[in-house]
Amino acid sequence: MSTAGGKRFEAVEIGEALGPHEIVIDKARAREYAAACGMDSGRFHDDEAARAEGLPGIIIPGNFSLGLLSKLVTDWLGAGAGRLKRIGTTYRAMVFPERPLALHGFITHVEPESRSVEIDVWIENEDNERLVIGTATVEFPAGD
Amino acid sequence: MAFDQSLVGKEFEATAPVTVSAEAIAIFCRALGEDSGRYGRPGPDGSIIAPPSFAVTFRNTDAFFNYTPRFGRGFDAGKEVEFIGPIHAGDEITLTSTVREMYEKTGRSGTMTFVILRSTLTNQHGETVAHVDHRFVHRNPGQGE
Repeated sequence: MSTAGGKRFEAVEIGEALGPHEIVIDKARAREYAAACGMDSGRFHDDEAARAEGLPGIIIPGNFSLGLLSKLVTDWLGAGAGRLKRIGTTYRAMVFPERPLALHGFITHVEPESRSVEIDVWIENEDNERLVIGTATVEFPAGD
Repeated sequence: MAFDQSLVGKEFEATAPVTVSAEAIAIFCRALGEDSGRYGRPGPDGSIIAPPSFAVTFRNTDAFFNYTPRFGRGFDAGKEVEFIGPIHAGDEITLTSTVREMYEKTGRSGTMTFVILRSTLTNQHGETVAHVDHRFVHRNPGQGE
């Protein structure tokens, strides 16, 4: 549950889901992200260059996947005092543009002493394959 | 090991400071789809904060290949990011990078070498704002690349 002021630590429960948030990243947006990050490799911009590398076409940068999962968490936190402390991601398979993707999160641990929360995060394709997996930690200041 | 194992522990030269512009943050927010209003626009104190994942846009992986030959096709295998403080528009970010780990894994498609390069982002006040562990992978030579 989010309040107008954002997520409160006391409201977080193990098993709570973040999302799923369903998206389709088109090629233009994949290119825009790569350009915004100074990632000039052809595999992120040009289908022909990607095919020359043995790929079926341009791919979504791993950093973009990390960014989307970070945003999933910060959107869940909302405007409160909780903050994203860390995120770790593993890119298990290529993520392609123009395909349905779903961003997921799941609360796995709540630590009252440190007021921190562990979250599994992942990106699935339309076949429910987990293309990107990871974990995130958020923390809440005392008395948020 | 396909790369020079003696590079583990090596710290590369710090990068020149990169000034973070409000425009760069705005472009990043647009590309990410960041529309919460908490990032990329002036907050209550007038400062503009970048989304946390902006930290991964600072990279120095090329430094690694100044010391060991590049081969085959490399890929980003994952990241581990510790967010310590916010990055603001106007900040000047410097990277120092160290090779933390190097290891091989053999799977159905052959042997691959994984490298973990840690970059520490420091602002103009000498404050560490993030640690980013870049994990990249290269298929070893002679295995179809």
